[in-house]
Amino acid sequence: MIEFRNVSKVYSSNGVHALDNVNISIGKGEFVFIVGSSGAGKSTFLKLIMREELPTSGSIIVNDMYLERLPRRKVPYLRRTMGIVFQDFRLISKMTVYENVAFAMRCVGKKNDAIKKRVPYILDLVGLADKAQDHPSELSGGEQQRVSLARALVNNPALIIADEPTGNIDPEMSYEIIELLNEINKRGTTVLVVTHEHELVKSFGNRVITIDDGRVISDSDDNRFVTI
Amino acid sequence: MSSIGYLIKEGFKNLFHNRLMTLASMGVLISCLVLTGSAVMLTINASDIVDSVGDTNVTKVFLDDNMTKLEAVYKGKELKQVENVVDVQFIDKDESIQAYRDQLGEEVFANMQGDDNPLPYSYSIVMDDLSKYDETITRIKAVPGVASVSSHREVAEKLTSLSSFITTMSLWIILALAVISLFIISNTIRMTMFSHRFEISIMKSVGATNTFVRVPFIIEGVVIGLVSALISIGLLFLLSNAVISFARKILDFPYTNFTQVMWPMIAAFCAAGVLVGALGSAVSIRRFLTHEGNEVLGW
Repeated sequence: MIEFRNVSKVYSSNGVHALDNVNISIGKGEFVFIVGSSGAGKSTFLKLIMREELPTSGSIIVNDMYLERLPRRKVPYLRRTMGIVFQDFRLISKMTVYENVAFAMRCVGKKNDAIKKRVPYILDLVGLADKAQDHPSELSGGEQQRVSLARALVNNPALIIADEPTGNIDPEMSYEIIELLNEINKRGTTVLVVTHEHELVKSFGNRVITIDDGRVISDSDDNRFVTI
Repeated sequence: MSSIGYLIKEGFKNLFHNRLMTLASMGVLISCLVLTGSAVMLTINASDIVDSVGDTNVTKVFLDDNMTKLEAVYKGKELKQVENVVDVQFIDKDESIQAYRDQLGEEVFANMQGDDNPLPYSYSIVMDDLSKYDETITRIKAVPGVASVSSHREVAEKLTSLSSFITTMSLWIILALAVISLFIISNTIRMTMFSHRFEISIMKSVGATNTFVRVPFIIEGVVIGLVSALISIGLLFLLSNAVISFARKILDFPYTNFTQVMWPMIAAFCAAGVLVGALGSAVSIRRFLTHEGNEVLGW
């Protein structure tokens, strides 16, 4: 699903070593937390997976695509295999909940009929069926994050990446979101949650990969590391 | 594909979202097109006039003011003897003044009858060989009693130089305006893209292709171009009608009307509008997508 082989990333603009010889392998259907404090290299990790940046050395395989060999025009098709949940939700304020989710389907050229069938189903899945016609400003943080999650799910990606999904919402809502991600994972979708909240991670029994200073310092699934 | 309808709708939304810049782009493009059209109309009509006037091989010879009618008629023989002159025709003072009255109205010439007529007697002369025009004129001028010679050829030459001057001038102005409209349109689209950078960023993160991101903005540019072309056609129609009906009062001539050249003009205007619009947006989209719009925002 996701494989990093000896990946290093140095930003040529400022010479920062963001990732240093990282090896990670995440299989299909896994639920993985990537934990690290800010500046540890989490953002670079995500940018590399999305092919927004290329590694300085090493190779990355995401959903069977070799990213360093992937031509630019194929990048959109890589991104269609993953759904992204952002810390700040990234909802379009002038669109309703329904339209925000439908937007992701329009962007990949889905037909109206398909949109009309799929969006209500996904909104129901995240428990927002009754909020379809509301605007994001009328929703709580937790609800907005569920819209963001619905948008990430709507194109049925094999992989969901959540970047600090609980960063902007109440603690009790945070658990709810992770629970929801767990539900989605049980249906077969690979889930990758990037967070700095160790407490939250501990209460779920999932695999945890810790990054610090551009290096993987622990992986609960890997015997080479001590479990935290 | 159902997304085509969606993309077109988005393009139109952009136009309204950016009303002021849209209007500015249209204004400049319209002035550019109207000016081009005016120059074309002017050139067509000027060259028509030049052709018809230049072709009439008639030179007018005016005799001295104080000449009596008898003397004037007698001059005809002398003029006919000039080399290269094949035909002379006497024109009475009264005829001349009548011609002016017909052209310019009764009142002005009402008291210029008979002895009060300020016009001289004249002849219209037809030459055999126009290539000997200048020598023939010199010889005619040498005939005693001839005050002046006027030829349509001079008018034709003046018209030709005037119309070529206007054409050159308008060509430069049109060129400058075309560059300005390209610049303004591309800035308009750039502003729209900038105000939509958030949506574009989301589009890119969910895997929209660059083509998909581009289409609404191209449509925006093309619509600006097309609407400007249509407004220009309308304006040009009104303008040319007004100018031609005014020109008819000065010189009666079968002017080429706008409606006679309308279809090629409409086709050219629409093509130019679409081209400028599409080009203007393509430039800014390219810049946007390779610079600020290249990344998913804030990562």
